[in-house]
Amino acid sequence: MKKKKSSIADKIFVACNTLFMIAFVVITLYPVLNTLAISFNDGIDAVRGGIYLVPRKFTLENYQTVLGKQNMMTGAYITLLRTIIGTVFALVSNALLAFIVSRKRFLFKSQLSLFWVITMYVNGGMIPVFLLYRNLHLTGTFWVYVVPGAVSAFNMLVLRTYMQGLPDSLEESAQLDGAGYWTVFSKIISPLCKPVYATVALFVAVYQWNSWFDAMLYNRMKSEYTTLQYELMKLLSSVMQQSGSAANAAAAGATASAVTPVSVRAAATIATMLPIICLYPFLQRYFVAGLTIGGVKE
Amino acid sequence: MKLKKLTALLLSTVMTASLLIGCGGNASETGSEAAASSETSAEASAEAGDVSEKTEYAEDEIIDFTMFTAMPGAEINDGNEIQEIIAKKTGVRVKETWLTGQTDAEAIGTIIAGGEYPDFINGGDSMMPLYDAGALVAWDEYIEKYPNIKEMYSDAEWENFRQDDGHIYWANVFQNKYGEDKTTTHNDEAFWIQVRVLEWAGYPQIETLDDYFKVLEDYAAANPTMEDGTPNIPYTILCEDWRYFCIENAGQFLDGYPNDGSVIVDVDNMKVVDYNTTETTKRYFTKLNEEYQKGMIDPEFATQTYDEYIAKLSTGAVLGMCDQWWDFAYTVNDVFVQQGLDEKGCNYVPLGLTIDAGMDQMWHTYGDTLNASNGIAVTTSCEDVEAAFKFLNDCLDQEIHDLRFWGVEGVDYEVDENGLYYRTEEQRVKAADTEYQASHLCTYSYFPQWLGTSKDGINAMTPTEQPSEFQANMAEPLVNCFKAYGADTYVDMIGSVVKETGPWFPMYSYSNNMTTETPGGVAWTKMGEVKHEWLPKVVMASDFESTWSEYMSVYESINPQDFLAEMQTELERRASLGQ
Amino acid sequence: MARNTKTNAPAVKITWKEVKRQKFLLFWAAVFVIYGVIFYYLPLGGWIMAFQNYKPKDGFLHSKFVGFDKFIFLFQDDTFLKVLRNTLGMGILNLVSTFIMAIVFAILLNEVRSKIGKKAVQTISYLPHFLSWIIVTGILHDALSTSGIVNEVLMKLNIIDKEVNFFAHPGFFWPIVAFANCWKETGWNAIIYLAAITSIDPCLYEAASIDGAGRWAKIRYITLPGIKPTIMILLLMNVGNVLNAGFEVQYLLGNGLIKSVSDTIDIYVLTWGISQNDYSLGTAAGIFKSVVSIILIVIANYMAKRAGEERLF
Repeated sequence: MKKKKSSIADKIFVACNTLFMIAFVVITLYPVLNTLAISFNDGIDAVRGGIYLVPRKFTLENYQTVLGKQNMMTGAYITLLRTIIGTVFALVSNALLAFIVSRKRFLFKSQLSLFWVITMYVNGGMIPVFLLYRNLHLTGTFWVYVVPGAVSAFNMLVLRTYMQGLPDSLEESAQLDGAGYWTVFSKIISPLCKPVYATVALFVAVYQWNSWFDAMLYNRMKSEYTTLQYELMKLLSSVMQQSGSAANAAAAGATASAVTPVSVRAAATIATMLPIICLYPFLQRYFVAGLTIGGVKE
Repeated sequence: MKLKKLTALLLSTVMTASLLIGCGGNASETGSEAAASSETSAEASAEAGDVSEKTEYAEDEIIDFTMFTAMPGAEINDGNEIQEIIAKKTGVRVKETWLTGQTDAEAIGTIIAGGEYPDFINGGDSMMPLYDAGALVAWDEYIEKYPNIKEMYSDAEWENFRQDDGHIYWANVFQNKYGEDKTTTHNDEAFWIQVRVLEWAGYPQIETLDDYFKVLEDYAAANPTMEDGTPNIPYTILCEDWRYFCIENAGQFLDGYPNDGSVIVDVDNMKVVDYNTTETTKRYFTKLNEEYQKGMIDPEFATQTYDEYIAKLSTGAVLGMCDQWWDFAYTVNDVFVQQGLDEKGCNYVPLGLTIDAGMDQMWHTYGDTLNASNGIAVTTSCEDVEAAFKFLNDCLDQEIHDLRFWGVEGVDYEVDENGLYYRTEEQRVKAADTEYQASHLCTYSYFPQWLGTSKDGINAMTPTEQPSEFQANMAEPLVNCFKAYGADTYVDMIGSVVKETGPWFPMYSYSNNMTTETPGGVAWTKMGEVKHEWLPKVVMASDFESTWSEYMSVYESINPQDFLAEMQTELERRASLGQ
Repeated sequence: MARNTKTNAPAVKITWKEVKRQKFLLFWAAVFVIYGVIFYYLPLGGWIMAFQNYKPKDGFLHSKFVGFDKFIFLFQDDTFLKVLRNTLGMGILNLVSTFIMAIVFAILLNEVRSKIGKKAVQTISYLPHFLSWIIVTGILHDALSTSGIVNEVLMKLNIIDKEVNFFAHPGFFWPIVAFANCWKETGWNAIIYLAAITSIDPCLYEAASIDGAGRWAKIRYITLPGIKPTIMILLLMNVGNVLNAGFEVQYLLGNGLIKSVSDTIDIYVLTWGISQNDYSLGTAAGIFKSVVSIILIVIANYMAKRAGEERLF
């Protein structure tokens, strides 16, 4: 009797949950499909608005414009490079830092955490940071994409929380076997952290993939270090948004009509979304399926 | 054991590092070959004379300069065909970069902090910080040396560019006419109306705001929808962000004054007048409110975004609005042509309205609008200042100018037996193609340039001003409308009086550069904020009088007189310069 | 390494033996501290700008000192107090709604039994994260316009009898912004929780099933406690973010009519600082935000410590 009742409740739950998921999918998929439709629509026609799920005037021109832009290949290459190197670099350093602060015995656990937590909420501003990077000779190099972002308090805390959740006995028993901290970190803790490593790797990879502001700020004149997103931003930056001065816009409008059609904007969005989305299935298996924690149980 | 692991880690780090350096090194080599050549050619160019001498520069003699413009713009490809031709003829190639995702102040701020400048710079509204930072090279001796540069402005006009240390550091490159005025479009503000409305009404004379709305009302009553059933929108107003000038500044024009932007200049008393509080402005808003209550004004006007506004205009359903030409026409007219709406009379023509009949108006200002607050400058980082100024001079050489704006003869345009330039339909289409623009055309759009008549005395400096080009793009209803009003161009259509503007014009070039350091600057920003919030409210108010007085009391509370006082001082300064 | 030993004593006593034992940890901790000082703390020298009338030409060394003038300007301005209220209001509303949505979504997704369904939903859910705000707000503006789908549906259902112009009413603005944030980020934010759920031992669920626990009971007694540390940490971090209500959404969705509820501190800084070349004012506002954030997380962290919960430091 009792069992049956719960299974009815379960059925209602499953039905509601399925409905919720379907609604959720519809509502989140819509903007993407809408962008997709606009990206395949004729640019001038798209200005009229009113395009929902199917293009009104089909064309591939927008993608030609986006992919045909000069420096796109350099941008793609640098972006790929910074995504791979930046992710590996950030993952290793964040994980190591998280490992340190998650050790129960570590002498400055609390102080070191506070030191990093504060960095999330303070910001010296664009100019001081620029001057710093220049004095470190980071500007005008590829390194400026990798080094400054190597440690982020947010990612570190996500990793730390996960590591703290692992049983202490793992570390203790390994140390009884004579393992040092490095062995504990690389051989015992890290293999168990795959889901959270995958999460942080995804965060960093997406951040690296989408970055353009640093490319603009620090490598403005170095087209060999341009990034994919920066090239697209250049394509998309229009007379619209930024300049608050009608006088300047008038002058510019009279000479070069640089307003980018919405359709090109859409095509650019889809073009950059695709590769990074392809990364997801590879990481997904780490956090969809439940992972059994092996080794010692408390 | 531990040490070994540590070494392993370090080793791998070093390896990654060296890998990186390797990559970096390669990339920078490929990128900087052009830069390397620049030094060798420095001397070669110094002796080089005028472009007309037809010297061809070899690749290793060409100097590569950089230019940053604090405005968004379209980048051209490396190896752009016309850029190469110009490089061969002038010995200079300029790599232009544009503002991306920042404000001009932010971009210039970081550039100044870094202390490394591009060779040329246009700082938008941030020229003063560049000057303050000592980043710019004085023009004075080069103005005397290079005739084309000197020719850009009269001595009195050059005075406007003089900074407080007595030197000139930049020159605005726009709105500068050579010879006879060839202006065909009215680039500035107007009340626009669709030609189909005028045609339906039998091309009446429309002089006042009241006439204007009367025609719109009548037409909308007789034709509630377009042919395809889309409901007509008699009038809409764009209020988004800084584009709220579409609602904000009609008051100055309706009173017959030109676009000083932030104030009216009362020429008789040499006083600045705040147009926000004039009787005319109040009457203008009373009218808008009245029309709103009648349902003549788009109910969504206050919340629409710029994209939505353009989309609305593009359907051809909007009968009229107040706006500046460049803000809508480039996009909307393209859509009209594509949709065949131009044949249905959806094109807009400007009307020079005044508040009462029989007044002179100055919606269109003839002659040049000199905005001395920004322009192109050469920086102290430039290693070959002489070559930089020579290039600025060459930019104005007619041959180079034609290459920049018309393109290559026989490829981008043709010349008929009378020496008149024209483009075939195919060439017109090609010139509008973005890919072709990037790979072939090189306008160097923020370098010195002319409008008006070419030095050959026949053609216009730019295709857009060539009468034959202008007419080739006009649809039947528009031609009929122009004919009915006896106008050849948009400028004739708006029919402003030909009157010289004072040496202070335009006053907005001063207010644009105000900062919060002065009380006037603070008041100026607050005035903008208050108007942006209240003007739509006033139009939508159910009780106009009380809302207006509420608005006025808020407006008074932010001390607009501080702003006016500073504008008055500037007016007097500029007026004295002109004498 | 010896200089580290000066700091006050944690649970483990600082002894030479302990230091020696932890030398690996201490060495790398020192490396990270040096890195942090250089990349995060050194630029804070720029805060001096807030007390100067900073001019790029003079740099930090020669700009004129004005003391607390910039802060006084901020706090005497009615507009600043208004944008502060808006920022807090929207900040709290956004954080609460996105926070709860992400957790609910992660837990419910975890309950989806079909493997393919689960993967598909998850992949789709995080796609909007990659759309820029200008695209998302554009679609939202369309949907909420007087001729948009929302009005159409409400009209058909007879909930309203005349189209509502949602963007003309100040009351709708904050919820619209919160909705936009949830819409864009729920799937993305849920990733952390999904990862945390994987660390829960499946045996616990099995044992609960044997005891006859239903779905709700399992969520309540196993899943939620399992991800509680993650929830706590993110909650604490977010408490410090209430003043970062954003800039783009409000800028793109706002309009003159509802300015008084839509402008945030960041928009204020853009209007008054950056677009006027007043770097100092922007820095002053930034310092204010930092100080408030740090005070908030210190309080929250203390409370978490008292309650014996997971904490930031």
